[in-house]
Amino acid sequence: MRVEPFDTSRHMEFTRRATLVTTGTMGLFGGIAWRLYDLQVRRHEDFRALADDNQFNTRLIVPLRGEIYDRYGRIVANNVPDFRVLVIPERTDDIKKTLTQLGSVMELSDRQITDVLDKARRQRSFLPILVADKLDWETYARVNFHSPDMRGVVSEIGASRAYAEDAGAAFVVGYVGSATTDDIERARRDAPTEEAAEKVELLYRQPGYKVGKAGLERTLDDQLQGEPGSVKVQVNAHGRVISEYKDSIVASTQGEPVGLTIDKELQATALKVLADDYGEYPDEALGPHPVSASAVVLDIVTGDVIVMASTPAFDPNRFSRGIEAKHWRELNESPLKPLLNKPVAGTYPPGSTFKLLTAIAAQEMGIPATKKHFCNGTFRFGGRDFTCWKKEGHGWLDMKESIKHSCDIYYWNLATEVDIDKIAEVAKRFGLGQTYDLGIGAEADGIVPSRSWKRAYYRNDPPNQTWFPGETLSVAIGQGAVTASPLQLAVMSARIATHKDVTPRLVRAVGSNLIPQPAFSELPGQPAHMSVVRDGMNAVVNEWGTAARSSLQPDFLMAGKTGTSQVVGLRRDPVTGRRLKNEEIPWQFRDHALFVAFAPYENPRYACSVVVEHGGSGSRAAGPRARDIMRAVLEKDPSNYDKHQFWSGKPTEPVEVAELSGGRRR
Amino acid sequence: MNAIVIEAASRSKIRRRLSELNVPLLFLLTAIAGAGVLALYSVSDGSWTPYAMPHGIRYALALVILVGIGITPLKFWLSVAYPAYFATLGLLLLVPLIGDVNMGAKRWIALPGLQLQPSEIMKVALVLALARYYHGLEFKRVNTIMGLITPLAMIAVPVGLVFLQPDLGTAILLGLSGFVMLLLAGLSWRLTVLGIIGAVGGAVFGLQSGLIKAYQWGRITAFLNPEADPLGANYHPNQSKIAIGSGGVDGKGYMEGTQSQLDFLPEMHTDFIFTILGEEFGLYGALVLLGLYIGVFFTALQIAMSAKSHFGRLLSMGIAVTFVSYVLINTGMVMGLAPVVGVPLPLVSYGGTVMLAMMGGFGLVMSAWIYRNQDTLRTSGFGG
Repeated sequence: MRVEPFDTSRHMEFTRRATLVTTGTMGLFGGIAWRLYDLQVRRHEDFRALADDNQFNTRLIVPLRGEIYDRYGRIVANNVPDFRVLVIPERTDDIKKTLTQLGSVMELSDRQITDVLDKARRQRSFLPILVADKLDWETYARVNFHSPDMRGVVSEIGASRAYAEDAGAAFVVGYVGSATTDDIERARRDAPTEEAAEKVELLYRQPGYKVGKAGLERTLDDQLQGEPGSVKVQVNAHGRVISEYKDSIVASTQGEPVGLTIDKELQATALKVLADDYGEYPDEALGPHPVSASAVVLDIVTGDVIVMASTPAFDPNRFSRGIEAKHWRELNESPLKPLLNKPVAGTYPPGSTFKLLTAIAAQEMGIPATKKHFCNGTFRFGGRDFTCWKKEGHGWLDMKESIKHSCDIYYWNLATEVDIDKIAEVAKRFGLGQTYDLGIGAEADGIVPSRSWKRAYYRNDPPNQTWFPGETLSVAIGQGAVTASPLQLAVMSARIATHKDVTPRLVRAVGSNLIPQPAFSELPGQPAHMSVVRDGMNAVVNEWGTAARSSLQPDFLMAGKTGTSQVVGLRRDPVTGRRLKNEEIPWQFRDHALFVAFAPYENPRYACSVVVEHGGSGSRAAGPRARDIMRAVLEKDPSNYDKHQFWSGKPTEPVEVAELSGGRRR
Repeated sequence: MNAIVIEAASRSKIRRRLSELNVPLLFLLTAIAGAGVLALYSVSDGSWTPYAMPHGIRYALALVILVGIGITPLKFWLSVAYPAYFATLGLLLLVPLIGDVNMGAKRWIALPGLQLQPSEIMKVALVLALARYYHGLEFKRVNTIMGLITPLAMIAVPVGLVFLQPDLGTAILLGLSGFVMLLLAGLSWRLTVLGIIGAVGGAVFGLQSGLIKAYQWGRITAFLNPEADPLGANYHPNQSKIAIGSGGVDGKGYMEGTQSQLDFLPEMHTDFIFTILGEEFGLYGALVLLGLYIGVFFTALQIAMSAKSHFGRLLSMGIAVTFVSYVLINTGMVMGLAPVVGVPLPLVSYGGTVMLAMMGGFGLVMSAWIYRNQDTLRTSGFGG
């Protein structure tokens, strides 16, 4: 072996260089170690906080909605456990197979399956998809039992809004629904801070969260919604909840309870009475149908709306769970207008019930109630003959008798002397032509015609029309342009009974506060003018007047006034020219039947109005219904504080609902 | 009869050589791979699959290869140094032709049951070839033009090929290994400075001419400004800094790392594996791992110092430097000190070729240890 002569020098150089490289390397390792110290010791707290920011999030706990009670604290709207089934797509390899399995355990329509598959394609796979809710206990238990075998299926108990079926509450309380983009935008606008806006948006976007859509649910939404709670959760980089920290829970606060003035029981009675067949004329073209009618009962002293019934109605439970298009179309297209809140939104010519106001206006114009007019069945005005509803005529009548018999000719005579603007002023004073802000929306103004009204109404075609005396004739008997809602008629009746500015209200209590009872003040005008009108109303019912069959004697003395208002002009047989009776013409052309009343006569406490659309005659369709409703009201006497336990503003029985669960660690 | 004697003699020779294995080196490497298994087990949520188990098995196989290479005479490795280099170069040339495209780059050759990354093998082959070259080169000729052209070409060709794949990280590491080899061989300081200037100039030229792609440059510069682009180029380094920093002195506990376990760091099992160790075992754990790497370096240094042949010295030192340059760049990268260039943490990151190359490299070091006393080997060839 040959000795390399040059090895020594390069070995020495290598040793030097290796030492150098080692030093450099160790220097770099020192740098790495320093960096570790920098990150893990010096700046540890900062990074710890950043890591916490990463992994912890706050999840909202949806609050329960405030309950709605009737005047005695019986439930009208509450929250019930909702058994539902969800699918979490990421937990199953084959969502179609999962749905097939689920379909063998519970009933699933093709529609539901396509909906779920559609959603699974569109949203992030860890978000649960609702397959079905409102399951009965047996189905829920069955799904629950089998869910361990079906990958991705989750059954849980949530809360959903339920409305008492017997309350007929649809129009009063309204209903709830999922928040739309508009709802979210509105809520964001109302939020005081940006942070609050974010929170409310998050809340509104929670699956299953509902906001008020109509009625009191909408008006009192702020009070009913409650405060969401929160819980600290651990999330991963994709935002999926990994675990919850139970000890960090801030419980949600249920919304405030709301107490209605409505008497649930009487409301149910009224609905039954309204829907009942009171010798109604059948109509072959329409087939059997429920009566389209409404009733309002007021407590005259407090203004409490005790009954506000409209029939036919809809089931708000179907709205709160999301109404099907078909059902909606049916409701929307029905001639009976089940979606219309008739007590406040339905306006009808008040017919003869308006004569009460004409009588008051006449007295205020200085016409004495004792002045008599003769009725021979025909009244000639402006070259035309107007016929009284009683062709044979009523003979000589004073004001009381004119009310009792509802003589048209008497009021046409008054109309020639009374100014239309005076009638309009009285009508408004007694509650027509205005809304009362009950908080359920949809209230209609109705029309109280006057000179200024006509000018405004016909401001375009042709402009500035003058009022013709002949028009006063129509208005004096509640025909022509004048219209009023059943609520307004009930208020009119209440104001005639007390001569006070009775104002209706629907809400007795919000939260634990009872809303103080309003004190009504005396109306302007002469209370003495009321007596003859009240006397006349008593005579209508109790002295063989037009509504003799509606008498509650001997138990109660109820005063009332019938009204039959034409929907179309006089209907005559095209061949013989004979005036046709209601039962001879199609339903939608028949007269509206109206009745207003107050009772007891001597010491009025309740005022009532009943309107039966196309019911024919006030004395036959509306009067008896009002009688039966008022009998129930008077017998129960819902304003008697000694007799009844009134709701104090505190909820009675809290409903236990399992907390809505999100994704958990598997 | 004679054959039996020879066979028996060779068997006893093998046994003797096995007894001469450098046990501390084997222990350190195994400890590092063990840390890798631990980390990979945690990455996959406490599961042996898909990473921890294959990693362990691969290590065991690589260990067998290491020992095999180690007991083979150093003389043999000297003789195959150039063929090995050219064979690897051939593989590198094959990559653009038959390579698999992964994330926009062709780096892999798919073999049955194995994905081969020739650029990683080249790191060892380059060190081997340069050691061979300088072994046969007179010291006085190291700094001559004629003596420089060959090694520079040997470095430049694979670096260029890898750069074009494009795999900037490996190209830099490869260049760095070659450069350190020149340094160890005795490159004059004047030339060293010139070389550094040349490298910087080359980088600027590469950028100007568009040879360095925008995403590569974005990654290179991103670490200088961690606040910018937190969801883009800086997402990985920022999240891994948070992970390591939040680990603190004693860590969050094994399998308790929130950053790692909650998917804030995707692809944890490869380049960012150091993060999970830093988060779950804290400063102590990270320093222990760094200590193991330093231990490997010093063991290799000691082997280099005790080798009587220049080949053995350069080889051991070259492999050691290549090995720790992975570690330094990788840990610097996950802690925001170096650009994210795709350099794995050797023996810990999941990946077969790197482990194979590094274990093969240490096999050569082992051979240099066992045959450390063979001081005079045949010196001819390039160096003449």
